[in-house]
Amino acid sequence: MPPVENDNAQIKARLQEFIDSNLVVIFSKSYCPYCKKVKELFKELNVACEAMELDLIENGSSYQDVLMEMTGQKTVPNVFVNKTHVGGCDKTIQAHKDGYLQQLLGAESTAYDYDLIVIGGGSGGLACSKEAAALGKKVMVLDYVVPTPLGTSWGLGGTCVNVGCIPKKLMHQTAMLHTALEDARKFGWEFSEAVNHNWETMKSAVNNYIGSLNWGYRVALRDKNVTYMNSYAEFVEPHKIKATTKRGKEMFHTAAKFVLATGERPRYLGIPGDKEYCITSDDLFYLSYCPGKTLVIGASYVALECGGFLAGLGLDVTIMVRSILLRGFDQDMANRAGDHMETYGIKFIRKFVPIKIEQLEAGTPGRLKVTAKSTETDEIIEGEYNTVLIAVGRDACTGNIGLDKAGVFVNPKNGKIPVNDEEQTNIPHIYAIGDILEGKWELTPVAIQAGRLLARRLFAGSSEKCDYVNVPTTVFTPLEYGSCGLSEEKAIELYGEENLEIFHSLFWPLEYTIPNRDNNRCYAKIICNKLDNERVIGFHYLGPNAGEVTQGFGVAMKCGATKQQLDSTIGIHPTCAEIFTTMEVTKRSGGDIKQTGC
Amino acid sequence: MATRLLVRRIWAVSVKDSRRLPAAAASLSSSSSSRSSSLSTSVHTRSFLSPSRSLLLSSHRCISFNVQDNDDFTERVINSDLPVLVDFHAQWCGPCKILGPRLEKAVAKQKGRVAMAKVDIDDHTDLAIEYGVSAVPTVIAMRGGDIIDKFVGIKDEDQLDSFVNKLIGQ
Repeated sequence: MPPVENDNAQIKARLQEFIDSNLVVIFSKSYCPYCKKVKELFKELNVACEAMELDLIENGSSYQDVLMEMTGQKTVPNVFVNKTHVGGCDKTIQAHKDGYLQQLLGAESTAYDYDLIVIGGGSGGLACSKEAAALGKKVMVLDYVVPTPLGTSWGLGGTCVNVGCIPKKLMHQTAMLHTALEDARKFGWEFSEAVNHNWETMKSAVNNYIGSLNWGYRVALRDKNVTYMNSYAEFVEPHKIKATTKRGKEMFHTAAKFVLATGERPRYLGIPGDKEYCITSDDLFYLSYCPGKTLVIGASYVALECGGFLAGLGLDVTIMVRSILLRGFDQDMANRAGDHMETYGIKFIRKFVPIKIEQLEAGTPGRLKVTAKSTETDEIIEGEYNTVLIAVGRDACTGNIGLDKAGVFVNPKNGKIPVNDEEQTNIPHIYAIGDILEGKWELTPVAIQAGRLLARRLFAGSSEKCDYVNVPTTVFTPLEYGSCGLSEEKAIELYGEENLEIFHSLFWPLEYTIPNRDNNRCYAKIICNKLDNERVIGFHYLGPNAGEVTQGFGVAMKCGATKQQLDSTIGIHPTCAEIFTTMEVTKRSGGDIKQTGC
Repeated sequence: MATRLLVRRIWAVSVKDSRRLPAAAASLSSSSSSRSSSLSTSVHTRSFLSPSRSLLLSSHRCISFNVQDNDDFTERVINSDLPVLVDFHAQWCGPCKILGPRLEKAVAKQKGRVAMAKVDIDDHTDLAIEYGVSAVPTVIAMRGGDIIDKFVGIKDEDQLDSFVNKLIGQ
């Protein structure tokens, strides 16, 4: 049976790597009292040991067979110290008594405070730490929010919970309710003309919900026995960090392994007045007053989402764009989302960059004067706004955590950390996950998945890696944009235009027909690889409930869905998502894609 | 003793009234803080009762308090001679805002036989974590530093009364 031999060779390689990379390795079973005894021995000796629980991992019995092959010992515990096979429980205890163990451990044997220290309590860091703790490891998480230049700060949980996905989508929902209120009259709902929005009410409701989430995370750490410190962490040595509390109290902690999960913070422009007078998304969600007439600088998804929901609240919104919308996303889709925003009442100033922000009047909100310069000519324009929101990108928080002391390589151009396909940095005992990774998705669910799988690989002998391909995501612009897989540009670059078949269609959601709005705005597109059975390699949807629609197609793409399989799928009528089961017009044909009737 | 009981009974009634009527509460507190003026303006029964009422008011102020820090908690809760209800609450918690006043009322009814400590879990996270608070509101009943009883969530006034009565052994 050749495949089995192959498997065994792989298992042997994994085992050897595990043995070689840890000072003390115990192959164990979670219920075995002798294994427990051995672990306690090392605990007494204050020596960090790595246990692989053979009854908890997949193929545990195969591992046991290979161990038998390697050591002649089939039973557990099976102990290795410093790459040397010691034996079972009795032999290890005997080795301790006669000093052999100490000899193996060597004079330099190091005992660390923790098995794992995670720096950063965001989605990725929390997921990784909880998983590691659930595997019986001693884990610490450090989280610290440096307040914004305007003093905004928040609790445990990272960007998504506090200043990202959660408040963003709740405010997007607020804006959509405004549209729904307008639609409602067309459906026969009668209510008095004046419909007002109270920013303070929305802000408090959103902040209260976030407060409950912060607390939930804190409780989860306690329940999983993860040590939590609300302190700023920085490396002082490769295995040692300094943790500083808000009050300046310093403590030092050591660990065998580290996971960097510090995330990103909004970038400023570096022009006069930016930090003094402008806000970023970090401030917006906690703003105590309605921002009023707002200038959004940037065309990132953060810019378009924030500009979108502010306009949806009825505010006067202008977006200043240096070059293109949604860099990195499918440009056809990005422009369609942008065009819709213009019809939604948002003004765009294109090819201009701000050079100066001045305060005309302080207040809540005050009045600011923005001076901007054309990117193509010498033209200078000025404008007056109540609030200026900067959303020109985010910087990885990797500059001030002593990575030089640990020897971790950081890309000097963007502050990102390159890692291998196991999220390992150039320093073997230091790993990184989440938004600070170079060339990876900056998405909460990706960080969670990466963190969880990393913990399982580090402490449970798993070999499953995070798959960064075909990650579905959604931009919550007023007309939402969901995508999975490749953009049209990227697909052409990888496969060549001649090898692609692109199907597309406009559609008009049924719920838009009676209010008679946004006709021929919603759009669906799939990119198929002709060389591979017309497999779907790009999925793009511009329309309502994009996240809900895209998630399921993400699963289909993970399963390798082809165009033929989409065609043979029965649609659900009347929905938006059913469009993907009846796509006939190819982009190259130039055929009519306007929808009419059922 | 009989007069003291009488005074207490009247006090309980006036507390009830003051809770319902913010204006009455304001006039009550002003009458206690500037007694000389209130004496001249108050109606007869009030001026007769005001000295003892102000005395009780000050003790009432000690009976319901916000925990300042861990040391404060040790001193006023763990080392308290009285049994203490600890109300773990949060700013962001809607039900806490309903339970808090109800709890204060139930405590006030006991005329100083039980104290109430309010702990904001975001300001004093370590305390809340140490006492196993998972959701708010969580109310812990303590006597002599030991946890006697506990509940999570909202309770109505009768349930609170019986919870408090159980704590003081009635």
